[in-house]
Amino acid sequence: MVKYRINNQIRKLRFFQNEMTQQQLADKVGVTRQTIIAMEQGKYSPSLELAFRVALAFGVPLDEVFSYDPETESNRTI
Amino acid sequence: MSFQERNISASLVIFSLILGFYLVRVFQMIQSESFNLTNMVRLWGIVIVLGIVATIIGTILTHIGSGIIQAIKTGEEPVIEDIQDERDHLIDLRGTRVTYIVYSLGVFLSMLTFALGQSPLVMFSLLILTGLAAQVIGDISRLVRYRRGF
Repeated sequence: MVKYRINNQIRKLRFFQNEMTQQQLADKVGVTRQTIIAMEQGKYSPSLELAFRVALAFGVPLDEVFSYDPETESNRTI
Repeated sequence: MSFQERNISASLVIFSLILGFYLVRVFQMIQSESFNLTNMVRLWGIVIVLGIVATIIGTILTHIGSGIIQAIKTGEEPVIEDIQDERDHLIDLRGTRVTYIVYSLGVFLSMLTFALGQSPLVMFSLLILTGLAAQVIGDISRLVRYRRGF
């Protein structure tokens, strides 16, 4: 069975939002900076609610921030 | 290192020291043949009081220490980020689960020694020992999850 993993574009989206800092995004969505770091590195998959809050913070649809892709050697982090 | 990680590290150090103190005292009692109910009950009391007091003092010192380090690093008024988000709650829950599993095994082991004919003193000594060990292992599992992710 093919394994899937949740990938995200948070780093890229922060860059396009005038290089928004991790702390600024954390404050916007109501989590700690460590959680944003863990999400960016693919070490933590957020809840559906937090995922929506992140998408809202960037003003884009959910599927522009998160995607559910088959796991490959290149996107494996753990 | 986040505020939560520092708190868990402080708890880990405190409970490791208490566990060490407990083991040393029990071995001393066994060697000096004073391993009796009165001394053991006194030791339980000391361990429980130490656990409560040291945790409170450790948390306060962690707060103060973090503030001082942050103030030195940034040169500004320290802002302690002590909010807990969903990731912190999840890690805490999983750590608590590990603690409960280890403690459950300890309770089973204690009952087993009693059922196999050991004195109740041995059973209660093992209960306190596994309680402390469970807390230490739970803290380690929390730290591992913070570091490695999940």
